[in-house]
Amino acid sequence: MRKSHPIRRVVLATAATVSGVVLLLSLKPASDPAAAAAAGAAPQPGAAARPSPQGGQRGGAAAGTVTGDAAQTQYGAVQVRLTVANGKITGAEAVQAPKGGVSDQKTALAVPRLNQEAVAAGNADIDAVSGATYTSTGYKKSLQSALDKIKASSPGSGGETGAGSGSSGGSGSSGDSGAARARTVTGRTAQTQYGPVQVRITVSGGRITRAEAVQAPEGGVSGQKTTLAVPRLNQEAVAAGNADIDAVSGATYTSTGYKKSLQSALDQAGG
Amino acid sequence: MTTVETGRAAPAGPRTARRSPAGPLLAVLWAGAAGSVALWWTGTGSVVGAAGWLTGAGRIAGLLCGYACAVLVGLMARVPLLEARVGSDRVARWHAMAGRYTICLLLAHVAFVLAGYAAQDRASLWHETVTVVLHYPDMLKATAGTVMLVAVGVTSARAARRRTSYEFWYYVHLLTYAAVFLAFFHQLALGDQFNGRPVATALWYALYLGVAALVVWFRILAPVRLNRRHRLRVDSVHQEAPGVYSVVVRGRHLDELGARPGQFFRWRFLGEGLRWTSTPYSLSAPPRPDLLRITVKALGDHSAAVPLLRPGTRVWAEGPYGSLTADRATSHRSLLIAAGVGITPLRALFETLPGEVTLLYRARGAEDLALGGELEAIARWRGARVLYALNGPRGQRPEITAESLRAAFPDLAGHDVYICGPHGFAQDVYRALRAARVPDRRIHHESFEL
Repeated sequence: MRKSHPIRRVVLATAATVSGVVLLLSLKPASDPAAAAAAGAAPQPGAAARPSPQGGQRGGAAAGTVTGDAAQTQYGAVQVRLTVANGKITGAEAVQAPKGGVSDQKTALAVPRLNQEAVAAGNADIDAVSGATYTSTGYKKSLQSALDKIKASSPGSGGETGAGSGSSGGSGSSGDSGAARARTVTGRTAQTQYGPVQVRITVSGGRITRAEAVQAPEGGVSGQKTTLAVPRLNQEAVAAGNADIDAVSGATYTSTGYKKSLQSALDQAGG
Repeated sequence: MTTVETGRAAPAGPRTARRSPAGPLLAVLWAGAAGSVALWWTGTGSVVGAAGWLTGAGRIAGLLCGYACAVLVGLMARVPLLEARVGSDRVARWHAMAGRYTICLLLAHVAFVLAGYAAQDRASLWHETVTVVLHYPDMLKATAGTVMLVAVGVTSARAARRRTSYEFWYYVHLLTYAAVFLAFFHQLALGDQFNGRPVATALWYALYLGVAALVVWFRILAPVRLNRRHRLRVDSVHQEAPGVYSVVVRGRHLDELGARPGQFFRWRFLGEGLRWTSTPYSLSAPPRPDLLRITVKALGDHSAAVPLLRPGTRVWAEGPYGSLTADRATSHRSLLIAAGVGITPLRALFETLPGEVTLLYRARGAEDLALGGELEAIARWRGARVLYALNGPRGQRPEITAESLRAAFPDLAGHDVYICGPHGFAQDVYRALRAARVPDRRIHHESFEL
């Protein structure tokens, strides 16, 4: 029967809830201690074996990175860096790409695909990603310039890596090369609440070119989460080149196990 | 002072009111909310970046929402402790207040979690929503539950209630059970705080299963048992005043019900036009081992059919509910203030409240005084006073103000005051009493305005 003050009550409830939640969130550490430690301690597998492009002691057979010229697009610059091992492109990444708003989304959408295509094709004749035409065009330009640099720096193996010689660009021919050929490393099994996670990576020229989970939680909800999370984690691992990858929301345990096993694989590859 | 005949009046009860369990109960409910937040706190390592903040806020909202859903259902489980000790009206107000808050939490949970996931995956909100709903485990069910809960919230808003029938609101509200059930599974499947934490999971199960047990017991089994045992049937219907009818209900072993003057039952008459609605009516006389009596004003589409009830019609009753009883009294002197058909519970109290009792009865005219003869008889027998506040000859309403009350009752502040009448009337009287320095704890009232 006491007089009620609905407006006051709404304001109070809202203020109390919002400030309570903000307080709780701000009291938690702002960085993930486990991930930070992993990233810091990780012996970057590429770091030791990544000399400057021209400084390769063993000429064309050594792994190296080449950065193409920045290509301007309407939405910003695109610049591609290639990792080359034994005259083959083993990794591609964009060191610059359009940023901000919709561009962020388009970059997120297009660049991983373009990277994959570049490695697969071994030349700049790759498909544009629909919806990100400008980024794609810039990417191809910068990619071409990087390929040109490789050609110029290693005349001996130029024919093999040449921008135009598509047929030899497949991944099959890397098997017969020497020290820098692709090798597969399997990480230790990481136990999670729902089952073991084990990651196998393919390292080539000091870079992860492939990541897959040979073991992951199965059955029921766990199976659904595995299907959901593992492909994304694989992609992230290749893109990041280290174990500092984002967990997939809704599959935190699998993600944590995955990162652990990935780290152990990287340790083995680095050591 | 009063000569209380032994046998008819209630024995003189303790002079200190029985403490309402409302305070401790609220403390327990709030502790539960704190516990839900603690689940998040202990299960969360760090909050990284905007995505972490959004997801974290969404998870806290989700945990609180899940907890509140269980509490909301529990409050409406018709637990005797809540209905008869805290008071049905108060519990209903808690339920309404917490319900509005829960809908807000629900919307915040959905918005923040989706925004957080989208930020983490660098995907659009729309894309993330589709992914979460279609591909995450148990999310289709949870989405259906969310839609139902929002529908329940919308149909319960004051603006919507005014435009829809009671029955529509009631049947939509029943969806709550389905909605809470459907939304339950995603909490355990996706809730990070339950993943691999058997204790937290067990507590959550205990909360939900406990509430489910309360609902099954008190809303289903207890009424079935009551009606099988007591076999209630309409005995007779009398007119008390224009449009006001008393219904006498006969049954067996009614003393076992433990019904007390001032309480009410929810009645469902299994006759034409009344079968589908159960309506709360107060007992208008102290219960007898074989008879109960209610007095009803025939105004709504439902109560209009009451005068047509035929003797022998079966009755389904649930109760007793309500806390407007002698337990609330804190002194020897009571003032009962009734308006219109609000006389019903006070008529029962007038006969049975121990101590010195005075009744103030507000009605339009003398012909509208329901139960008038009985009141006079009780007054004579108890040596109690009945005062009437009727409209004047030209229809002017008598003023019930602090001054007029003090003039009639010099020791007003020493009285327990029971009020029953339309909401506006009760509010006016409450204000007048407070102005006359009657302490809040001595003013007893049941209001079903939410």
